[in-house]
Order: sequence, then structure tokens, then C-alpha cells
Amino acid sequence: MFRASQPRFSRRASLSTLALLLMASVQAVAGLPDTTFASDLDGKPLDPFAAARGRVLVLLFIRTDCPISNRYAPLLETLSGKYRGKAVFWLVYPDRAETPSHIKTHLEDFHYSIPALRDTRRALVKRAQATITPEAAVFDSAGRLVYHGRIDNWYEDFGRARPAATTHELDDAISAALAGKKPTPDHANAVGCYISDLE
Amino acid sequence: MKRATETRAPLFLWMLGATLVALLIAASAALPEHSQSEAQKTRTVTFARDIAPVVFRSCASCHHAGEAGPFPLITYGEVKSHARQIADVTHKRLMPPWLPSREGLRFADDSHLQEPEIALFQSWVDAGMPEGDPADLPPTPEFPSGWQLGEPDLVLRAAVPFTIPASGGDVYWNFIFRSPLNSSRFVKAIEIHPGNKRLVHHANLLVDRTQSARRQEPSAGSGFAGMELQIESESFDPDGHFLFWKPGSAPVIEPPGLALRLDPENDLVLNAHLQPSGKPESIQPSIGIYFTEQPATRFPVLLQLENDRALDIPAGENHFVVSDEFTLPESVELLALYPHAHYLCREMLATARLPDGREKTLIHIPRWDLNWQAVFRLATPEPLPRGTTVVMRYRYDNSAENVANPNRPPERVTAGNRAVDEMAHLWLQVLPEARPAGQGDPRMVLQEALARHHTENNPADFAAHYNLAAMLQARGALEESARHYQAALRLRPGDSTVENALGAALLASGEISEAVRHLSAAAAGRPDYFDAHYNLGIALAGAGEFKLAAKEFAEAARLKPADSGAEANLGAALAELGERQKAIAHFQRALELDPDNRLARENLEALRDRP
Repeated sequence: MFRASQPRFSRRASLSTLALLLMASVQAVAGLPDTTFASDLDGKPLDPFAAARGRVLVLLFIRTDCPISNRYAPLLETLSGKYRGKAVFWLVYPDRAETPSHIKTHLEDFHYSIPALRDTRRALVKRAQATITPEAAVFDSAGRLVYHGRIDNWYEDFGRARPAATTHELDDAISAALAGKKPTPDHANAVGCYISDLE
Repeated sequence: MKRATETRAPLFLWMLGATLVALLIAASAALPEHSQSEAQKTRTVTFARDIAPVVFRSCASCHHAGEAGPFPLITYGEVKSHARQIADVTHKRLMPPWLPSREGLRFADDSHLQEPEIALFQSWVDAGMPEGDPADLPPTPEFPSGWQLGEPDLVLRAAVPFTIPASGGDVYWNFIFRSPLNSSRFVKAIEIHPGNKRLVHHANLLVDRTQSARRQEPSAGSGFAGMELQIESESFDPDGHFLFWKPGSAPVIEPPGLALRLDPENDLVLNAHLQPSGKPESIQPSIGIYFTEQPATRFPVLLQLENDRALDIPAGENHFVVSDEFTLPESVELLALYPHAHYLCREMLATARLPDGREKTLIHIPRWDLNWQAVFRLATPEPLPRGTTVVMRYRYDNSAENVANPNRPPERVTAGNRAVDEMAHLWLQVLPEARPAGQGDPRMVLQEALARHHTENNPADFAAHYNLAAMLQARGALEESARHYQAALRLRPGDSTVENALGAALLASGEISEAVRHLSAAAAGRPDYFDAHYNLGIALAGAGEFKLAAKEFAEAARLKPADSGAEANLGAALAELGERQKAIAHFQRALELDPDNRLARENLEALRDRP
């Protein structure tokens, strides 16, 4: 279903005004997911689905001031290293108030090497059905959402963490997607900050 | 024969890591239960009128820039951007963090929210989070940066920073601050700046009068790891103060007369519970000390109920109860409570059975969470008459359903100092009823009764035997004292602190050869142990071995060049050996160090009178 938009984004190098025009046309098509407003930290529109080029795509929704997000940074880096070359990882910042320079500092502070996107229009949020930071979404090679929800069960609730996670939903979901299987579960509630609280 | 000064021995006190103080927020109880719920029905909840007063009072002390809260909650935008989360965490009573239920005593810093206040947040979210009329907004709370109590009289900084890894479990680290004081001072407040407040869950500061914690540092100033801290404290000066820090806490200023004495060569040890944030972080705590000219006139004491011996929790057991009870031999006022356990504990209850038969709940924590432990100071002191029995009853869950269980799968757990071990402790800070001068120190009576209770409860309790022995020694019950030191020594063979104390007790009861044996063991076990060399010198002098005695006093004087007692005793031993000139020099040195040293003065006079 998403394939239709891919050729458009393969020419993403075009001017931003052009991208905006394209956007308008995309929005006109009912039901077609709108990811066109996600942008990289230089402000250029970037479509992670196009960039994945048929690989498994992992979106990680985070927020600079969400302590639970931040505590996951080392694990997210470990997972992205584990699947390097097989799955494509993006950090997604849905908070409009978090500027590119703010985000760059955050990436440096937490030693992130995973590339980052801003999703100020919540297009990726919508497509990934994300409600919380931190939350993950896994898309298969056809761009279908196969898992969304918590990274693992480290947090039981706010301020209530297990000494270590005992289930590893995101890791398992990526493995399943790479093997062409449907992850089980395909959703698990995340604990963290509500995206709906953001402007 | 020259007189020798009194022997020296420390007292063991267990103090625990990880404590908190509370917010100096006006008690939320001030809000009438129904005033707002009526109002809510008739008008839209707005930030300015309804939300801001609650947030400013109950959230902002931690949630402002530079404080421990992970995001600020001051402006409309800041609060709005976490509105659903606030509604959620307040509804679940996870925030503000406050463990006690309302059925116990009232605490000075109760940050508990009322139901109508909690309901406001959801109503606000439902109404679309309107800002309202800015004219309704209460004044923005001000949080002074830097030292809350103003510029301290003395600032001490940890010698080296400690690096917390980006990930992994909780970390417990102890920093030692060396006091530069050259005379004793009274302290009315200590403000703890733990460094990056978002990393430090809580911290507990202990006065180490004998520099005993330094022995645990791998290198001087490095600090050392450990969740629980055992320090040795001076015998007859049990310090009854909790010094702790938790996020958002205001430093406590002790009321007049309740000051804490700080002596030269005292160390202050900060036991900090740290939590990795996701990036490597470094912290270097500092503490600000505020002196007072008013000496301590009232002496609170810390009493510890515990039953660690009973902690042997089978894997999977979800309802394991441990209890202890202690009857107060003195009338006291209860000032504060500090319940302590690790991750398996689920529920805590402390009650008092009063002499008239009434039973009173002191504190009930229905859902224990180590992360939010605190010292709970009473809003008003609670009198507990002599004969009151304090009862603690803790419940543990060692099943897999307890998410905090550090073992996967659950394992049998017993008492210990590590995070995977358990504890069952309840500390009470009490102020004993004053007695007319000369009628004994009620603190000693309390400590002796408590130590005796613990030896009876747990014959393998090293600290209890040691402390009971120290109390007995202090009131001259030397034979029984020596028995308990011996029991302690059987539990920790070769422990230099015990060998020294036992030697001192034997010496006092005239068993000199036995005293020499134990004091020699203490000095051999820890060659830099001043007290052991000093006491051994006295014992050897008592046995007429003045040459050996002089050697020990010389070693003591070398270890502590500013100690006039060691110099005076060295002079006395040399005088016995006929070394008149040398003896005079050491007596004079002792008098330079302390002009009031009676032993040196009298011996010097005697020597001068002699042809």
C-alpha cells in the first residue's frame, strides 16, 4: 500500500518547495499514509520507508526529556549494532519543541549513532501507532507494521523497573521480521511519556 | 607507678545506605477534602486557577531546572506537555513519591495528594488543558540556586569524582569527606549537594568518628562501593541524627540544643544510591556545613529494631513475614522513623503497644519501594512512655510476581548487605526524657537494653554483642562486658577492634596478662591502630614491662603526633626506666599539646621534686 509513494521519495533531493507540493497531493489521496513531513536534522524531508529500500525498518520514538527513553539509550545502540546491515534503525523525535540543535546535543550526550528524524507532524507516529516514548515499531520488508509497543518489559510502570527485562519484544520482533515471520506478540503496551501530551 | 589515662574503644553502629529527607512543602492536608470537588462540577478546570497551585506546591520542588525531576513543571507549556502522564502517575499514587498510608502518625513533610486534587488533573485533561485567566495564577515558586541555607561555613568536596556507567543496575557508592577542623564544633545543619541530582536517588551521610570507613577505600580518597555501610562509632557518644538527602529535599536545620558535634579527624561518609541514566555520568558530591555556637544540650538516640536472622525466604514464597519487638526501658519522644529493607519487601508496619494497652500505628507502608525510601520526621514528637513496646512487622515477596525481585528465577534469599540480599530494619530517632544530673544517661540504658534484646534474639549478632559489651564496660560491669566481647570475637575471630576493646575491659578488671595478649593481637592485626598501641602500652606498664610499654607509647605517639595522652604515657614509662631527661621532654610535649593534661603535669612536678 505504501509502495506508491516510494518513487516520489527516491527523488527527495529536490527542493523543499517541491516536496511541499508533493505533500499536498499525497494528503489528497485518502488513506495513503503521510510520512512526507518527517525530516532529518538539517530540516530536509526524509522518508525512512523509502530509505529502507525493502529492508526491515525499526522506528524508535523517543524524547529528550523522557527519563525512561534515556535509560534505554545503551540498549537501543546495542540492538542497532546487532542488526547492522539487516535492519534500518531511526530514532524519531515527535516533540515539535525539540529543535535540531537540541536533538544533536541529545544524540551526543547519549552516544547515539542511530540516525535521527523529527516527526513534527506525527506522520510516523500515526503510521507506527505510537503513543508513548520510548516505543518501537517494526515494519517488514514490504513496509507493513508488524510490531509496535514497548522495547522490553524492563519498566512495569513509572518508577517501577525490574532489575533487568525478562521479555524482549523488540529484539524478538526484529528477528521474526528478518526471518519473514509474524512477530508474537504484535503489540505490547509501553511505559513512558505520552506523545499525546505534546503540542 | 605513674597513672595512665583511660583506655579507648569504639562502638559499632550499623547505619544504612540510602535515605531521604522530605520536601518542605506545606502539608497537603491543609486542603479541605471537599472544597474543590464541588467547584469542579460547576466550572472548567484551568491551569492558572486549579492546576498551578497543586503543581507548584507538590511537584515543582523536584521538577524545576537543576533539580532531580527529569523535566520542569513550572510553566503552562511544561505542565501541559506532561498532562496525561501527571494525571496517570498521581492517580496511581506513584507521584509525588510518598510511601506511608494515612493511618499512621502525621509526618512533617507529607507530600500525599488529596483525592480531589488528583481528580483535578484528569478533569483538566478532559477539558482540553485550558490555560485559564493568567490573573488566577499564584506566584511562581522560587528556588534559590546554590546553597539553600546560604553560604556554608565550611564546604567539603569529594576528593575524586565517581563515574556511573551508562547502563546496568543500581550503583551504591561511598564518598569520604575528610574534616579539616582543628577543634570541635557544633553543627546545626549539613546541606548535601550530591552532584548531578538526576542520578542520585538518595544519599545518607554518616559521621565516622574513628575513620573506620577509610579502611575500605582501595586508595586514599577513592571512595568505595557498597549498599550498606558499617562504621565504628565512639563508645559513649552515640549520635542520634539522621543526615540524608533525597531529591527535592530541603536541608534540615536542627532545633537549638540538638546540634551535632563534629571533632577534628572525623570523617563524613556519604552513602549514595545512584541510577544509570543512559549515558556515562560523573558525580563529585560536596557538602556544606553550618556551625552553631550553641552546644548540644539534648541528645537524641537512634534505636534499631531488626530481625535479619529470621530472613531466610524460600524461592517463590510470596508472603514471608518478619517481626521484631522491643520494650522501651525509658520514656522517650519519637522524632522520626526510618524503615529499611531491600527489593523483596512489599509491606511494612510499625506499631506501638502503650503501657495502658492501647495500640497505635506508627507507620504503615502498604507498598514498599526501595527507590522512594525516606526518613519520616514526625510533624509533632510522639510521646512513648516507658514500657511501650514497639513492634515492626515486614512482609516479603520472593516470587517472580514481584517485579523488583533481583533474582530471575527467584532464589532463596537471606540477610546481607548486597542488593540481592534482604534486610528487616526499623530505625527510630527518639529523644529520651531528661534526667536530673548524676542519675545516669538514659541513652545508655536504651542502648544497653536494645543490644541485650538483639543478643537474645540473635546470639550470632556480632554488633549486638560488641555494643552490649561496650555499654556494660562503660558502667563498670566488666566481667559481663568481657563475656560479650569474647562472644563477638568468636563471631569475628581476630577482629582488631574487638581484640582492643576486650583487652581494655580485661585491663580495667586487672587481668593484665590476658589484656596484653588481646591488645597485642589488636596491634599486630592492624599495625596503624593507635588505640591498640596506646592500650597495650598501658597494659605492659601495668605488668611492669616499662621498656615494652615505652615502645608502644612511642608507636602511638608516632601514629597520632598531636595526642597528648600518648606523649604523657611515654614520659611516664621513660620515667620508670630512669630516663629522666627524656621523660621530662615528653611530659612537656604533652603539655604543649594539651595544657590541661593532668597526668603530664603531676608526673612532671613529681619528677622535678625528685632529686
